[in-house]
Amino acid sequence: MSRTYLAATSVTEAVSALAGGARAIAGGTDLVVGARHGKAPIPQSLVAIHEIDELRGITGSGGGVRLGALASHEEIVDHPVIREHLTALADASAIVGSHATRHVGTIGGNIMNASPAMESGGPLMCLGATITLQSTSGTRTVAVDELFTGPGRTVAESGELLVSVDVPAQPAGTGSCYCRLEYRRQMEIAIVGATAVVTVVDGTVTAARVAITALAPTIRRVPEAEAALVGTDGGRVAADAAAALAASASAPISDVRGSADYRRAMAAVMTRRAIEAAVARATGQSVSIPASPALHGAV
Amino acid sequence: MATVEEPRAAARPFIRPDGKEKVTGVGRYTADMTLTGQLHAKFRYTDHPHARITRIDASKARALPGVFAVLTHEDVPDVKYGGMVQDRRLFAKEKARFEGDIIAGVAATTPEIAAAAAALVEVEYELLPVITDYETSPSSATLVHDAWETDSGDESMGRDGNRLGFSTIVKGDADGAMATADVIVRGRYVADCSHGVPIEPHAVIAQWTGDRVTVWTSTQVPFAARGGVARTLGIPESHVRVIVPLLGGGFGAKCDFHFEGHVAALAKAARRPVKLVFSRHEEFVAIDHRREGITIEIETGAMADGTLVARRGRLAIDGGAYCGEGGFFAQMAAMHAAGPYKITNVNIESSLNYSNNQPSSSIRAPTAPQVCWAVEQHMDELARKLGIDPVELRRRTLIHEGAAGPTGQVFDRLGILETLEKATELIGYGQELPEDEAIGVACGWWPSFGVPSGAYVKLNADGSGVIVTGAQESGTGAVMGLPILAAKVLGMKPEDFAIVYQDTDAGPWDMGSSGSQTTFNNGRAVIAAAGEVREQLLDMAEKELEAARGDLELADGVVRVKGSHDRSIAIAELTGSGAALLGKGSGEAPEPSVGADMSACVGDLGVGAFLAPQLITQAARVRVDRDTGVVRVVDFAAAHDSGTILNPIGANGQVYGGVVMGIGQALSEGTQIGADGRQKNPHLLDYKLVTVADTPRIQIAWVEYAAVDGGPEGSKGIGEPPSVPTSGAVANAITKVIGNQVKQLPMTPERVWNTIQEGSK
Ligand SMILES: Cc1cc2nc3c(=O)[nH]c(=O)nc-3n(C[C@H](O)[C@H](O)[C@H](O)COP(=O)(O)OP(=O)(O)OC[C@H]3O[C@@H](n4cnc5c(N)ncnc54)[C@H](O)[C@@H]3O)c2cc1C
Repeated sequence: MSRTYLAATSVTEAVSALAGGARAIAGGTDLVVGARHGKAPIPQSLVAIHEIDELRGITGSGGGVRLGALASHEEIVDHPVIREHLTALADASAIVGSHATRHVGTIGGNIMNASPAMESGGPLMCLGATITLQSTSGTRTVAVDELFTGPGRTVAESGELLVSVDVPAQPAGTGSCYCRLEYRRQMEIAIVGATAVVTVVDGTVTAARVAITALAPTIRRVPEAEAALVGTDGGRVAADAAAALAASASAPISDVRGSADYRRAMAAVMTRRAIEAAVARATGQSVSIPASPALHGAV
Repeated sequence: MATVEEPRAAARPFIRPDGKEKVTGVGRYTADMTLTGQLHAKFRYTDHPHARITRIDASKARALPGVFAVLTHEDVPDVKYGGMVQDRRLFAKEKARFEGDIIAGVAATTPEIAAAAAALVEVEYELLPVITDYETSPSSATLVHDAWETDSGDESMGRDGNRLGFSTIVKGDADGAMATADVIVRGRYVADCSHGVPIEPHAVIAQWTGDRVTVWTSTQVPFAARGGVARTLGIPESHVRVIVPLLGGGFGAKCDFHFEGHVAALAKAARRPVKLVFSRHEEFVAIDHRREGITIEIETGAMADGTLVARRGRLAIDGGAYCGEGGFFAQMAAMHAAGPYKITNVNIESSLNYSNNQPSSSIRAPTAPQVCWAVEQHMDELARKLGIDPVELRRRTLIHEGAAGPTGQVFDRLGILETLEKATELIGYGQELPEDEAIGVACGWWPSFGVPSGAYVKLNADGSGVIVTGAQESGTGAVMGLPILAAKVLGMKPEDFAIVYQDTDAGPWDMGSSGSQTTFNNGRAVIAAAGEVREQLLDMAEKELEAARGDLELADGVVRVKGSHDRSIAIAELTGSGAALLGKGSGEAPEPSVGADMSACVGDLGVGAFLAPQLITQAARVRVDRDTGVVRVVDFAAAHDSGTILNPIGANGQVYGGVVMGIGQALSEGTQIGADGRQKNPHLLDYKLVTVADTPRIQIAWVEYAAVDGGPEGSKGIGEPPSVPTSGAVANAITKVIGNQVKQLPMTPERVWNTIQEGSK
């Protein structure tokens, strides 16, 4: 049993390695740590993509961005367009692991690891992001909303490399927020998370997207909650109503991190907080990034 | 830092000599070592936490290419070991008693092959009921140790079946007095077990030369490790040399003899050096050393003015599957259930019980944080019922000079009342706070341990010196601070000394880095050893300077005539003659000036009187997110009477670390055990340590009363106390915000939230 490891320098080289059965490794913060944890052994054949320049960087156009697969969480948090217009994504990347994790972990790895507890999924879904997958037989685009099929599973084939993520510009009057329950301030894993993206025109919510994280086998949108928000003023009553619907849509488990009852109750709290902060941002009020600590009353 | 009363020249902060190598990554720990030809060890753990072992067949494992040795109980002497009770073998023989019990050890060319071979060991079992409920285990029909009566052990333990230890503290007539009380409060509190979690995992390397073995190991107690290897392998201690490279923290988890015997046996059988490094998972399930779960039932009767007339208590402590070095826990827990208070009548029963959980042994102030957490919440509840402010109630009831403790011990001067005033002042007790915030206060105590300890001091030809000590540096800086003491005696600078430590062939016997006792005991030894050298220097200088001995002093690196400093001779000149300047010391251990009256108590294991008690008040300001139950500690004050402070940097460091560890134990650090006897969160993702981002401001005050029964210059210990009242202070603050007590430790967000929900029903 020999191991192979290739540090590819181009996408072409990487996808042909994938076609040969290799697994991609970017920052390795999921893959290697997962293996150490006994989740799955390190694949026999690895293609490292961290030296591929084509996969780097974040480019902004209008109010949207294209993220290279290698964009790190830290780069995302620092990007002015994301902070200003796609704030929920900045909220998410800003609370991944610790400083070190955010510098090493990539958006491509975060998405393709497909954990139901991962941070960037809810914001990307609600912001209408798409990913571009490339293989030896060409490229295709998949909406993040349609990507996840189960814990650790996506619609992507094993030969496909995520090359970029497109997050479109949002309509004027849009604000967004991602908020997570945090037992501690760093190195946390989402036990409950919620995303809200709302467009507020003249005091009325005209469009809303809501997703819940770590509350089902995949991150999921909650159309009932979205529908409940549209047409309201986005105030406490509306937020509470939508939050209750998010809680009912959740399918939490009981484990060492919390009971199903607690998680369901927290689904409502996190959703309500995310909506309130998204509405605040939509109407020009400032909520610091990341939103989570501030919303939980941290100093 | 504030200092109360008796101002004296503040001790000069001394930066520890091992600091730079540690923070720059140059330092080498046991796991960093590699010996030529070294093999890797892996253990085969039991498949069932409680089972009779009916067959072990290692032949397939032995046949795997790359495997050099596979050992089971058949391959080592049939010897039992353990602290106060000898109830354990290196390899499980007739039974497996907890998840981490070792059936076999393998040495192979790679860790992967060793792991594969360990899995190939065939074991057949007869399953037994798993006892996880330590509270009821003494009445269980299933015994953890069927033949417990044949295990040798301390007679005072009061063993009986699954009851490993039993102690009481009885003073006066608690039942009678309770009936006379104006106010009675009762409570039941349950503390989960937790772990020490040193960042460096356990690691051991053993290498034989002929019939002698050298063991490099990450232990806090090298001499106990040496004794364990000698005992279990049936060889004299002179054939075992234990060396500890840099130690990456212990917090108690590396006390006791653990795996040195297994690795030495493997190295002997394999005829190669063998190295064992634990994974983080093993660090949780297999180190047979954790902070014990405790169930605390407590009842106190008080008069309207707060006078405590009676306390009753019943404690059940999870001893786990083996005694380890936790044999004294029942009595220690009982002392904390009484606490540093004046209580006229006391009746506390404390039972240390076997279970199929991981063995419990000392983790930073064993039993104290859990019991103190319960007692201090109980005291706050009593204060509420009495309509007295909780700080005022403590002011009226805490011990002081001349007061009698729970076992009749009468105390010398001590400063716990002063710590109460200081801590409350630093935190701003009584200030207006937002409605989701409150300040909680808690007091606690911890004894100093007087034990034998030895050191040598010698001077080099150039006038510099070497301290050779048996003491172990676990990261606290205690050994690193010894030069301060030698330097004072010899009129030299601390920087003038090298330290030879952590080698059992070099230093005299020492208890090791446990019980906050290194400075307390080894400090006295170093001072005595330096004193002998001082006499030798004076002998020489007397002649050189033609002066009377009484007129001479040692200062600034010279011996000189007091008052006429031009008549002096450099120490370097005296040492340059080639004379052997060598001193030895073994400071006599002090005793409490008034002992305990244990006549009405059972199970006395020597902690019924507290030598040089270390006293603490801590105050926590917390913010509670009522919607989620998440608690943040936003400000913290710690005031300690640890006697004279010899090195402020080191002492403050212990408080910072101890408080942070205490906050973790208060809010997030708890091991969950399934009904199958297995830990459910044996990893750092779900065993939640406090991170630097969660750490509040910590303000420290020292009450420096030189202790009559103390260590050097009237110092006491400091390593363990900072963890003692932390969770109690946090708990009392939470209760003030949410109106009810959280009676389970750790006080996780969900538990806090549940308490809020129940309160709003
Ligand atoms: C201490 C710590 C804390 C963490 N905290 C968080 C947290 O708070 N929130 C959170 O969401 N995550 C967290 N993580 C997980 C992880 O850091 C992130 O998910 C990170 O973004 C993963 O990126 P990576 O580049 O390291 O992925 P890798 O480990 O390199 O890859 C992860 C998976 O994605 C695949 N992959 C990677 N890149 C591509 C690509 N371009 N195309 C196709 N497949 C690809 C790999 O094959 C692998 O299956 C944490 C991890 C650690 C170690």
